[in-house]
Amino acid sequence: MRRRGARIALQYAGVLFVAIVLNFALPRLAPGDAVDYLLPPEAAGEVTAAQRESVLAQYGLGGSPVAQFGSYLSRLAEGDLGVSIRYGQPVTEVLTERIGWTLLLVGGALALSTLLGVLLGFFAAWRRGSKSDTTSLTGVMVIDAMPPFFVGLLAILVFSVSLGWLPIFGALPATEASGLALVLEAGQRLILPLVTLTLGFVGTVYLIARASLVGELQEDYVIMAEAKGLSPRQVRRHAQRNALLPVVTITLVGLGTLIGGAAVVETVFSYPGLGRLIYESVLARDYPVLQGAFLLLAVAVLLCNFVADLLYPLLDPRLRRPVAQ
Amino acid sequence: MTAAATLRRVKRAFAGDPSAGSRTGRRLGLIGAGMLLGITLVAVFAPLLAGHDPTAPSGAPYRAPSFEFPLGTDDVGQDLFAQLVYGARISLTIGVLSAILATAIGLGVALLAGSLRGRTEVLLMRVVDLALVFPFFVLVIVLAAFLGRDLLITAAVISAVLWAKPARVLYSDVLKVGEFQHVIAARAMGASNLRVLGRHVLPRIAPLGVSQFVRTANVAVFLESALAFLGLGDPNRVSWGSMLFFANSRSAFLTDAWLWWILPPGLALTLVLVGFAFLGYAIEERADPRLSGRRQPGAGRRVRRTASRPAGDEPAPQAPGTVLEVRNLSVAYRSGDHEVRAVDGIGFTAPQRSIVGLVGESGSGKSSLAFALLGMVRPPGEVQGGEILLNGRDLRSLRGPEARGIRGREIALVPQGAMSSLNPAYTIRRQVVESAALTREDPRAAGKRAREVLESVGIAPQRHGAYPHELSGGMRQRVVIAMAIANEPSLVVADEPVTGLDVVTQARILQLLLELRDRLGLTLVLISHDLRLVGRVADELLVMQGGRVVEAGAAETVMTSPCHPHTEALLAASPALREVERPR
Repeated sequence: MRRRGARIALQYAGVLFVAIVLNFALPRLAPGDAVDYLLPPEAAGEVTAAQRESVLAQYGLGGSPVAQFGSYLSRLAEGDLGVSIRYGQPVTEVLTERIGWTLLLVGGALALSTLLGVLLGFFAAWRRGSKSDTTSLTGVMVIDAMPPFFVGLLAILVFSVSLGWLPIFGALPATEASGLALVLEAGQRLILPLVTLTLGFVGTVYLIARASLVGELQEDYVIMAEAKGLSPRQVRRHAQRNALLPVVTITLVGLGTLIGGAAVVETVFSYPGLGRLIYESVLARDYPVLQGAFLLLAVAVLLCNFVADLLYPLLDPRLRRPVAQ
Repeated sequence: MTAAATLRRVKRAFAGDPSAGSRTGRRLGLIGAGMLLGITLVAVFAPLLAGHDPTAPSGAPYRAPSFEFPLGTDDVGQDLFAQLVYGARISLTIGVLSAILATAIGLGVALLAGSLRGRTEVLLMRVVDLALVFPFFVLVIVLAAFLGRDLLITAAVISAVLWAKPARVLYSDVLKVGEFQHVIAARAMGASNLRVLGRHVLPRIAPLGVSQFVRTANVAVFLESALAFLGLGDPNRVSWGSMLFFANSRSAFLTDAWLWWILPPGLALTLVLVGFAFLGYAIEERADPRLSGRRQPGAGRRVRRTASRPAGDEPAPQAPGTVLEVRNLSVAYRSGDHEVRAVDGIGFTAPQRSIVGLVGESGSGKSSLAFALLGMVRPPGEVQGGEILLNGRDLRSLRGPEARGIRGREIALVPQGAMSSLNPAYTIRRQVVESAALTREDPRAAGKRAREVLESVGIAPQRHGAYPHELSGGMRQRVVIAMAIANEPSLVVADEPVTGLDVVTQARILQLLLELRDRLGLTLVLISHDLRLVGRVADELLVMQGGRVVEAGAAETVMTSPCHPHTEALLAASPALREVERPR
């Protein structure tokens, strides 16, 4: 058990290192002069050679690649991700301001879509081949295929513009509010992005849950559970217990997809999370923030995968170390 | 072969070609292909369909739809209809191009890792694992932001991010193919790696490659649209994603313009994505028939009513002194016009404490008979006639919970449990307690009973908390027997209880069954393909062929002087080795 943990940790440390290297290499791989990327577009044309040098030095772009990488690593170790071009603030500050909203949105969507997806998927699997299974399968596949930004735009059209039920733009009201009123307002503004993001992921969970249970139902132990006289409920529990295993993996691994989805959903709803920040940074060519956000998200996704890998033996006894015979 | 596996095979065989997928799958596949074909036609004939250049102003800005501009114009006066039509080209180009690239890379890595093995394999698959855990969507955004927004670069970036999934999936298939007997044989006969690859591996993994291709194309189309929606699209071309980007940034949803600016590109995108998703599902189902959702036992379906005996037609009373009496029992599997009788008018009696041996080769109907005894014949199979009397009660007249109440309490099944009849996620104690709890309300009493029966089949208390995978095949078989006797049933149906075990363990398990019969007064129906093995322990023997009993009688008589040629054949088929074994 411990050896397995150590091996997995080592593996993830490797992936993290690659993420860091990638992050370091990206602006240097980009075509053209790095200075063009690091300065606001309008300023890039008219910089003197001296200014150019100072900019390069400021971003650790001077000297040999090895020296650059060294200084990059030592800055990173100190938690220094550079300075945002757009805000003039340290990137870490810009990121921490935004991360809460994304956590709320992505966490909520993850929980909701897993719950819904598993319920619907299992329901369909028990009725597989029937009309309700076919209908739900087709419906879920269509919803799953719709791009979340299109769903988001439609949601705004229907619920905000036409019906006027829910406010959009941002996470908090522009007017002053406090206490419960503020929480209610924030909750209202969370609904549409949350539902949109959930719809974008629920199909994945549904398809996995359905396929997984359909597979389990064909296992001999399920037939045995019935043959030994258990009630249909007990038989269901036997199969579902095992069918949940791949769902757990998909859910935690799916976090990466969800975070990506958050980038477009937050953009549609002007929700002030990391995704929106990425979008703004792309438009404003705020590359230090873009890099910082990428690194942060990569670390977050890696952490989740790591947790999933560690959790797995708890769920699946077959992965535990066999008891000494 | 386990009873369940037999049942599965029979059902597959009569439910049509298993590789063809379900009707739903085929229909979805056709719809999906149709959608994609339509979009492809639009893309090919875009210049004919569009009246204007999609990327140049051709009218006044913000025009409402008119004859000249069917979808109006955008904020700089570009024709939205032309953009919609030309957008099909971008989506399809990106989808197909990225999918070709990503699947090719994935296939290359899978073949390389699968055929070279050793160090290279480990290294390559480590890289694949690494690429798989990356948050690919964010990576695509960052890569696109840094590397440029040209269409080809976008395709390259997308495939650079998506290749790992096909690599992983195809790799495991390559390994599977490598384990096939004929491939091992080909290698042993000196076929070169390349030859094995071309003759055996590639044809076999091709369906999976196609399904991965479609899946990848699906994701690629979505990624391109998302990139374009984030303002990272090719600035020289207008795709559906960038149409939505401009519509969103010009707040088109606040006016009527959403009708012609947001809806058409959004729907077009959905159409392509749904098309790929449907097609992908249909292809995947072909590659993995398990997804087709064909009904299997345990699906919670009720037994078809047509199978029940007409009311008021009471069966004749059971012969005294017998536990089980089967009369003229028939079980058939039906699919459309096909009907196959797996059990065709079988009858026998089992006196108390006797062992009745049912012997036949695969497909002789013995497993169907076992399921009929348990009341577990499910569509497309049905019990078509006959009577099953257990302690004076006609089991076929029982319905729903009543029928279920017999199982595990009066009739218990011992399947070929060594491999898969135990739930891998639960400890053996829990699974035996579950059985014991059927007739015991008090959990402590159930726990105590579980301990008792586990010990009585020879499993030491310190092993009761073990999981099935931690036990040997013989031990698992003992656990299954413990579950069967937990409620002291009067009849135990043992379906190939020792198949797949080594000879020594076989003898021990049979010995255990005999002991239990003596101790608990059980009646046993022992089903096997091995006539000599069953002949050693059974009192009564029935030899089955094609759903009928071809020979029946006392075990001694049948073994020493068989009358039917099939019995002789079965005797001859068993290795003579057993003859030199010392009698028990």
